[in-house]
Amino acid sequence: MNGPFVKGPIEQDNTDSIVLSVQGVTKRIKNRNIVDKLSFEIHKGEIVGLLGPNGAGKTTTIRMIVGLIGMTEGDVIVKGKSVRKDFAGAIAHVGGIIENPEFYPYMTGYDNLKQYQRMTEGITEERIRTVTKLVGLEDAMRKKVKAYSLGMRQRLGIAQALLHEPSILILDEPTNGLDPAGIREMRDYLKRIASEEGISVLVSSHLLSEMELMCSRVVVIQEGKLVTMRTLGASGISDASTGAEPERVHVTLRVDDAAAAKSRLARMEEIRILNVSEESNEITVSVRDAYIPRMVGALGSEGIGLYRIEEIKESLEDEFLKWTGGNRIA
Amino acid sequence: MLSFGKLVTNEWLKMYKKRSFFIPYAAIAVVIGLVAYMMKSFSLSDGMPSGLEFTAGMFSKNGMGQLLTFLAIIGTAGSVAKEHSLGTIKLLLIRAQSRGKILAAKYVSVLAYILSLSLFALAVSLLAGGLLFGFQAREAGWEDVTLTVLAQLAYSLIYVTVTFMIGVFTRSTGATIGVGMILVLLESLVVGLLSRYDIIKYVLFTNVDLSVYLEGGIPPVQGMTPAFSLIVLAVYMILFLGASFVTFKKRDVA
Repeated sequence: MNGPFVKGPIEQDNTDSIVLSVQGVTKRIKNRNIVDKLSFEIHKGEIVGLLGPNGAGKTTTIRMIVGLIGMTEGDVIVKGKSVRKDFAGAIAHVGGIIENPEFYPYMTGYDNLKQYQRMTEGITEERIRTVTKLVGLEDAMRKKVKAYSLGMRQRLGIAQALLHEPSILILDEPTNGLDPAGIREMRDYLKRIASEEGISVLVSSHLLSEMELMCSRVVVIQEGKLVTMRTLGASGISDASTGAEPERVHVTLRVDDAAAAKSRLARMEEIRILNVSEESNEITVSVRDAYIPRMVGALGSEGIGLYRIEEIKESLEDEFLKWTGGNRIA
Repeated sequence: MLSFGKLVTNEWLKMYKKRSFFIPYAAIAVVIGLVAYMMKSFSLSDGMPSGLEFTAGMFSKNGMGQLLTFLAIIGTAGSVAKEHSLGTIKLLLIRAQSRGKILAAKYVSVLAYILSLSLFALAVSLLAGGLLFGFQAREAGWEDVTLTVLAQLAYSLIYVTVTFMIGVFTRSTGATIGVGMILVLLESLVVGLLSRYDIIKYVLFTNVDLSVYLEGGIPPVQGMTPAFSLIVLAVYMILFLGASFVTFKKRDVA
């Protein structure tokens, strides 16, 4: 199955699989709603991105979920436990990295993890060893954290978040300040954690290309309000929002004679010609996936040379700008 | 209860693992040693105190009392403020522990810290005094020493609690140390300036030094009793701690 076009959130029949449910959460500061009746849900094993321009309320939302900031209205339910009414019960299922994880620099990595071990019942030495191995910090555990690179600190951050075997990881701008290798490493960890351990992940970021590579779904907010929720397929973004019917793809053909190609393709009902560029001999069409071989065959039988076929994917960035109305900073 | 003990362990380790942890203890030892040596070298032979008198003297407000309080203030100031400045508060508060419990653990660890400073100073004073002056009890006995030490502990406790509260309010270590020390220095000034008014009886500063009730002391206002001072101090403590806990629990950590 080539599934770039799944509509809406993944359909999950049983509500048991809902790990995190944000219910009409509002944060009001001086009569201004920083976050306004925001609701969304996260299922088991999903990686969900929280997207929005600067000042959209991403950080506030994340901090309300983990209880660092109080909610004015609404509630957050983690595995059936309310963050407002049963904070300790709810947060026990959450592992968090809020911005760059900060540790006590004068302590070793191990001492820092021990701090968090003592704060939750039932974390064994074995578990500490397991998570340090998972993030590959075994050799650095006896070093003081001030000697750690940002990437190492980020890995220690993942380790502390996983220590108490949470059901959901919540990360606020986790790739801030990381170099490309670090970002990629982070992404691989998260994907592995989600698929192997079935842990859900909520990650906020404004790095769209990052989100595109990492997330199975994005929640887009602006000025504290929900703008849209989108499921990202294996090869890009759902086309539903552009109005084209599903399964249709946009492809650009490079041919030796654009005019001839145009007149040939215009005779085929299934094909819609979107754009013809005579100078570069390119022609862009909208066509059903299944119809592409016939289209190629038709061009071949006319003696039109075909040099390239490229799929045009709307990037998440294009979509994002459409949803949020350009680069207006709220 | 087990988990609260672990939280206190955590807070203690946060202080203990710093490289600067032993500096206050070293300072105390050096000061006491120096004072004892100077008294031994320069005082006339008939004016020699006993070891216990020396210890009681060291713990009076004009002796080491204020120095101990300053050291305690410096140690306390970072307890909450450093979590904010390091950014570790974010990871600290997203654990399955209530904020009230976390702050209580911090307060308890701070209390343990001032207790350890005072006990250390007591041990060093007794050692230095005993070695240099002997232990034959003359004017001051063990009881006097105990009471002086307790009065000093109460004095430190009050200022440490104020400092703790300021730390919660300001979230800045430097500002907290500054305000805490200024309060200690303002103490006698305020008491002096307001001594004409009746209200002075209820001011924290007037009551904070309990050593005035010990033998030979004169209370700042006539008619003040130890019980009265203890009640006033208790009311202030409840206010300070109440304000600290309410603020810490309500705070949005941005």
